[in-house]
Amino acid sequence: MLTLFRSLFAPPRHMILLVAAAWIGLTLSEKRADRHGIGKDDLNNLTFYGLLAYIVGGRAVYILENLPAFTRKPLDIFAINPDLFDAFGGLAIALLVAFIFGQRRGLLLWPTLDALTPFFATLAVGLGLSHLAAGTAFGKQTDLPWGIELWNAPRHPTQIYETLASLLTLILLWFKKPGQRPGILFLTFAVITAAWQIFIQAFRGDSTLIAGGFRQEQVIAWVALAVSFAIMEMRFTVTKAT
Amino acid sequence: MQKTQRIILYVLLLITGAAWILLSAETTTTSESTAPQVGFLAPDFTLNTMDGQVYTLSKLRGNAVLINLWATWCPPCRAEMPAIEKVYQEYKDQGFIVLAVNAANQDDIAAVTPFLDQYSLTFPVVLDVSGDASAKYQLQSLPSSYFIDRQGIIREVIIGGPMSETLLRTRVEQILK
Repeated sequence: MLTLFRSLFAPPRHMILLVAAAWIGLTLSEKRADRHGIGKDDLNNLTFYGLLAYIVGGRAVYILENLPAFTRKPLDIFAINPDLFDAFGGLAIALLVAFIFGQRRGLLLWPTLDALTPFFATLAVGLGLSHLAAGTAFGKQTDLPWGIELWNAPRHPTQIYETLASLLTLILLWFKKPGQRPGILFLTFAVITAAWQIFIQAFRGDSTLIAGGFRQEQVIAWVALAVSFAIMEMRFTVTKAT
Repeated sequence: MQKTQRIILYVLLLITGAAWILLSAETTTTSESTAPQVGFLAPDFTLNTMDGQVYTLSKLRGNAVLINLWATWCPPCRAEMPAIEKVYQEYKDQGFIVLAVNAANQDDIAAVTPFLDQYSLTFPVVLDVSGDASAKYQLQSLPSSYFIDRQGIIREVIIGGPMSETLLRTRVEQILK
């Protein structure tokens, strides 16, 4: 089953899983947009411009980072190589464009983030599946009975842990009773995701180790958890005051 | 839930998280293992060229190596060969080697020499007649390219193609560092 899945979605076909997740996630977000006071068209446009900015911005940032290489063959700016891309740069540009679009359309930050939470949660499921298909984000070696054979060794199926955790998060948030406080749904997603990242990263075999053997990804997730708690508490206080 | 209760919960969860990070810190470095994946030692192989020259990957240690698995019938493989040749010419004096592995077990060997002539390829092209090297690299799609640094560690895997000159240049410069 796993072998069939991995051969069916072997790179570069694993990207199909991400695209499918984005499409399903957007559909789910649309279904609940009204509940957060966000119009479906606004949500669609916001996602469209955000994704477009991610793609164009990721390439633009990569070009700026490797300007001498592109100067030698400028037409490669348009090369159909997805690897000529800076994911973090793309994300930064996408957030900026989404923010500007939101400001112009008068979208409120917290209700918009709440409306987009099913999109983010579904995307996380797709990311886990694409990791499984590509064999990336792999686990440490293990002799546990549920270990999977990957990269010449039995390993923790961290991609399956990741997919299941994301799926449970999506289900939990989808059936969560709607609250009165804008932003809490999104922050709950951030808290749960950061918490399971801290847990699951411990079983990864490709972590970036920093001083003391700590995993960089766990430290970042811990900081994200602390920040999410702080903002969540501020949201509780602000909403109560208003 | 009251504010105090919430704050106690936050603190408890953060302490638990910090404790887990401490407990799961790596105390030993893992031994070097081979796999066709970023961060692993590149799987070794010994293959012959059309004129009988023998190439063993591990003997190229100390150089930056691009392994390109390809076949004559594969259009993206054909499309990226001129770019690979150009970049090879630019960087070979800095210790960059291209080892083009023809997936001969799924190709017509008679078509290889005319192919090399057609594209004027000067880098070594070896034949994987038995398919062992393709199996070691868990080949799923052609072309597949592996950028290997001077220590023999895979730093980038590109599945599919064609790779552009700029993509090749940026990756080659990384593995030459």
